[in-house]
Amino acid sequence: MNLVKIVTKNMRQRALATTLTGVSVALAVALTVAIVHIKRGMQQRFEQSTLGYEMVVGAKGSPLQLVLNTVFNLDISPGNIPWSLVEKLQADKRVKAAVPFSVGDNYHGFRIVGTTDIFGETFGYKLAEGRWFTCSIDALRDAFKEALEHSQERIAKEKGVEPPKPAAHHHNPAEAVIGATVARETGLRVGQTFIAAHGVEVSPNAEEHTDNPWTVTGILAPTGTAVDRGLYINLDSFYHIEGHEVRDVPQKDAKPEEKDNDPDPGQVSAVALKLRSPIHALPLYREINDGADAMAAFPAVEVRKLFAIVGNIDRILLAQAILIGLVAGVAIAVSIYNSMSERRREIAILRALGARRRTIFAIVVWEAVAICAVGAAVGVVGGHLIVVAANAALRHVSGFTVAPLALEAAELWVVAGSVALGALAGIGPAWQAYRTEVAENLAPTS
Amino acid sequence: MDNAVLSMRNVRKGYREADGNRLDVIQVGRFELGAGDQIALVGASGSGKSTLLNLIAGILLPDAGTVCINGTDITQLPEARRDRFRAGNIGYVFQSFNLLQGFTALENVELGQMFSGGGTGGRGAQLLEAVGLKNRLHHQPRALSVGEQQRVAIARALVNAPALVLADEPTGSLDETNGAAVLELLRQVCTEGRHTLLMVTHDPAVMRHFDRVVRLEELR
Repeated sequence: MNLVKIVTKNMRQRALATTLTGVSVALAVALTVAIVHIKRGMQQRFEQSTLGYEMVVGAKGSPLQLVLNTVFNLDISPGNIPWSLVEKLQADKRVKAAVPFSVGDNYHGFRIVGTTDIFGETFGYKLAEGRWFTCSIDALRDAFKEALEHSQERIAKEKGVEPPKPAAHHHNPAEAVIGATVARETGLRVGQTFIAAHGVEVSPNAEEHTDNPWTVTGILAPTGTAVDRGLYINLDSFYHIEGHEVRDVPQKDAKPEEKDNDPDPGQVSAVALKLRSPIHALPLYREINDGADAMAAFPAVEVRKLFAIVGNIDRILLAQAILIGLVAGVAIAVSIYNSMSERRREIAILRALGARRRTIFAIVVWEAVAICAVGAAVGVVGGHLIVVAANAALRHVSGFTVAPLALEAAELWVVAGSVALGALAGIGPAWQAYRTEVAENLAPTS
Repeated sequence: MDNAVLSMRNVRKGYREADGNRLDVIQVGRFELGAGDQIALVGASGSGKSTLLNLIAGILLPDAGTVCINGTDITQLPEARRDRFRAGNIGYVFQSFNLLQGFTALENVELGQMFSGGGTGGRGAQLLEAVGLKNRLHHQPRALSVGEQQRVAIARALVNAPALVLADEPTGSLDETNGAAVLELLRQVCTEGRHTLLMVTHDPAVMRHFDRVVRLEELR
């Protein structure tokens, strides 16, 4: 016989109250654990994804939208920038690498990204199997010309005039390297082909580019970033798709010769930069943003801003969870306090048998602590189950999932806080038990 | 008496009434019990018999006087030490058994051992066997008859081999047959263990079993 056994017996004797108060603690802990876990996990995933992406450049608009679109394969592209800007940035001595991206299609909801063969090398993405797609700058320029011809043909048709005769063009094979998640979820393997659907998200009415199948040449090793959920194709093949005109329909006030003889027909959604030195980041950022053509954004900064906004929401949720915890603490105190009148005789018997006042005090406090500790343990498991359940929604919204079994240091604090709450909740009733008069309470009450 | 197990001198215990006057419930000039003595203490209802037992057990403190158990004046001990002293030296049997619900017979007996600071060992089971409850060790009080419950209470009172056993009308809740059996058992185990037994009663049938019967008024 020991204190633990006495505490356990007391809890069992009041099974309903113990269970209900324990459940409220578990609920508060589960919510807290889930919120902390999801926030930390998502932030980690987002920050991990920005590694290597020192700066992104795209059309003027929302920097967050540009970053979400370029780095995380989320949201829609804010617009296009001219290929000449990509070349200008590639030639800039401050820039170590400038990787272009074009988006606009998907395969089973996974985004198809047109880029060049420096993509993997620049950001350190390794192939798990196969090889990188074939890509050459000549083929890309040829693709721009061909796409321009398609645009001119369309404009001529709109004007009702004879379109110019198309020239012969060199095509690289349409090839793709796919992310680890795409391979796992779609079952695509090296050597297999796939057909893209128009638009960056799945739509029942989306047009399929059946005349442009891509062959998978490689599968990327898992990165834990948005790259796992992308299909990366050679940029020239992107412009072979009908409807991927290299420039917008000319402005109404543009001169006819400007419309038909655009010297810079190529356009991309964005370009990601790696700089030779961090010292160049701010001047280049200002230079681009001061210009009229494009906008620069720092992915790491935008992610921090995003989580600062999200942080306000999770602080509200955390405050709610803490409130639930406090209410649970009060419920435990009230429940034990209410049981005191029926337990006075029990306490008096224990005292008559030789139990000291402080032993009685400890029994009551430990009872409250045990309820909170068991509730907290159940809550931690529950919190992780919530994360498992939330992963499907997280994947849909962000493309990321959170490892449900990973333990956060904050969880230990939550458990420790719950135990402390239990101790606090037990003090009031324990004091009442401590002061119980033995002689008065030894006789049974009717 | 040089080797008194219990020695009370000039003990007074009273309460202040609503009108401010003091009412002495207990007044004991001198009262001593030796090792192995078995005494019935008799008094009218409400005369303070239970209060006297609580004073001897150290549950209540007297307003004046000394209460010595085996030479230790328990009125001078701090409360925590007095509690521990009680657990090790005094066994208490109540009229209403005072077993803890939710605990088995064996656990109730072991509770008596727990607070004395000794290990629980196997003495609880031995005692329950000795009082005829070998097959009831793991039964909860509600599954036992009233006679069996009082046997558990006797085993609990004796589990620390106390020098002094206090019994507050232990047969008061039992029928004649059960009461006689319990009384016989209590006297027998106290005789075998040379425990001093002080039993409060107002039942003449119980008094007849004792060679020495003391009226509360005689203690003044």
